[in-house]
Amino acid sequence: MQPKLTAKALCGDKEVGKISKVIVDPLSHEISDVVVRELDGQGAERQVPICQIQEVVNEEEIVLRCSPDEFVRFPLLERDQYVTVKEVEIAHLEDHLHVEPGEILVPLPRLEQGVPRRTFFTNMTHAIGTLIALPLVFPVLKYLMKPMFKPYDNAWFSVGNIKKVSKENVGFQFKFTRGFKEAFMPEQQIEKNIWVVKATPAVQKEVYGGNDRKFFDDKGEVIWVNKANSPYIGYSGKCPHLGCGYKWRKTKNFPDGVFLCPCHLSIYDEAGKVIDGPAPRPLDILPMQINASGEIKIIDIEYKAGVNNQIRLL
Amino acid sequence: MKEDIQAVNQQNAFEKVVEFVDERVGLKTIQAKMLNEPIPGGSRWAYAFGSVLLFIFILQVVTGILLMFYYVPSTDHAYASTQYIIHEVDYGWFLLSYHFWGSSAMVVMVFAHMSQVFLWGAYKKPRELIWLVGLALFGIVMGFGFTGYLLPWDQRAYWATVVGVEIMDKTPLVGDFLARFLKGGPTPGQMTLSRFFVIHVMVLPAALAGLAGLHIFLFRKAGPAGPFRGTPEEIKAKTDYFFPRQIWKDIVAMATVFLIICSLAFIEPVVLLEQATPDPGDYHPEPEWYFLFLFQLLRLKIFGGQFGQFLGAIAIPGAFMAFLAALPFLDTKPERNIFKRPVALIGWTVIMIFILVFTVSAIINREFLH
Repeated sequence: MQPKLTAKALCGDKEVGKISKVIVDPLSHEISDVVVRELDGQGAERQVPICQIQEVVNEEEIVLRCSPDEFVRFPLLERDQYVTVKEVEIAHLEDHLHVEPGEILVPLPRLEQGVPRRTFFTNMTHAIGTLIALPLVFPVLKYLMKPMFKPYDNAWFSVGNIKKVSKENVGFQFKFTRGFKEAFMPEQQIEKNIWVVKATPAVQKEVYGGNDRKFFDDKGEVIWVNKANSPYIGYSGKCPHLGCGYKWRKTKNFPDGVFLCPCHLSIYDEAGKVIDGPAPRPLDILPMQINASGEIKIIDIEYKAGVNNQIRLL
Repeated sequence: MKEDIQAVNQQNAFEKVVEFVDERVGLKTIQAKMLNEPIPGGSRWAYAFGSVLLFIFILQVVTGILLMFYYVPSTDHAYASTQYIIHEVDYGWFLLSYHFWGSSAMVVMVFAHMSQVFLWGAYKKPRELIWLVGLALFGIVMGFGFTGYLLPWDQRAYWATVVGVEIMDKTPLVGDFLARFLKGGPTPGQMTLSRFFVIHVMVLPAALAGLAGLHIFLFRKAGPAGPFRGTPEEIKAKTDYFFPRQIWKDIVAMATVFLIICSLAFIEPVVLLEQATPDPGDYHPEPEWYFLFLFQLLRLKIFGGQFGQFLGAIAIPGAFMAFLAALPFLDTKPERNIFKRPVALIGWTVIMIFILVFTVSAIINREFLH
């Protein structure tokens, strides 16, 4: 049985005051003290520990363990040392608190009592919300997708003269600039690079496996064929692992030189074959032609990095 | 207890997730508190304006973010990128036009919302703070209109900004500083565009979101004002909760406004003028329609000269805003019935007629100039 907040506090048979407040421990969520307002004098509020309650007679009365003389020795409540539970957020405090006989209830408005169309309203509200949102999905997706897919650019770009490549089976970088037009921006010149290797017949065999290499446009038509016995091989400057730019380096383990990607340490030999590191496929070979004066031309193809097969992006 | 366990076992996965979250944050209590808000005297169509404003704002945020996917706030690309949105990107014309007409709808709704609150006497005690925050929100909406207007960087945009900033320049003490601050220099240019852009897409949205939150919080603290007549018994008998009837009215109003904005975007899509230059050519500069009455006011003879200009452009609008801010503190009578507040009713009517007359005469003047 819980005493009401207005229950009388008795010492022996004598009433000393009424319970005016209850103090709860915020950690244990248990009542630690009751506050008794004295009957006589100024109505001072004294803080009585819960252990001093001898008996809860009924909802109207509790009996304290002390005598009326001892009661006045309980400390006065220092109100400014406390906040009400309404002023503070203590998780689950109210779950355990039953000072009053239960929850405080507010009656529903008459119009809300047993509304038969509550579900109908909910469904119609959702339906209209959907009618607003749904027609926007397709236009917004199309709007955002505008620049995502571009037709392939199969133009030939001149990147330099082959006479610069003298040593066999060594990577040689050619830098070139190309025009690039994007959306509303004026046409820009961007710098790119490729790697060229003058391959010995053994390396040619390793690269092409004795077969000519065909390149296709987006309709599947052949746009160029690299001959199986062509001595010069051009590699896209983009690492097939995750798209970094790789370099030709001589290392302790590979004194003759290898293609080394500084990002995740993929290592390729002069035939583009992965010899170490995380790369999923060999270096990407570009369509390349060399005219009589030694000018190198390539089609600037880019493939998706990080996948086993070549998937063309540009 | 056994029944509880059985009930838990019968829940589907979604209900279990809801239950999991609810146990930790009290979601259902929050939802109940939000939806079970008593509306004295019952739900009404007239109460939908605030919700509709929130809805328009959310869609302005969505379309605004989408526009930023292509828009570039630089003087050499702003115009080209806006043209690209209109002419090249799929549905770009629609999203831009929706954003444009949405801003007009926002201004119209702000007027409707303020009028409703005024006529219902809902700004009176204890709702003074809601009214004040609402006035700040009104200023922010106007700021959105002003800053957004420059971004396409066409002649219309440029000249509205030139004039608008010249007007601000006439504010005593801070005017010169304010105008230079907004322009980012002595004349409009790249710095102006950058500043207007960041104010439009960062500063004002943050301010509006925060103040709108405060507005709704204060509104919930004070509770809805309810109808301005009827005995407490009548009002109590008609009272219902925010959900379902008011939400239903709100969403129907939202759908209607959405359809109107979409229709306007289809019928009258945004078309840019020539790219902005400091030479107006054949263009007659003009602000957006909701500023037209102020624009027309400044054509009057009595607002000529430096002092007249200050009077028309700064003092009168400033005094009017100050009056609106002071309104709940000046008008302390508890009477809310508009038909028992003749000064308020006449005042509101006069202001509406003034705005209407000056807007229409600005339009007539425009025809005349062409």
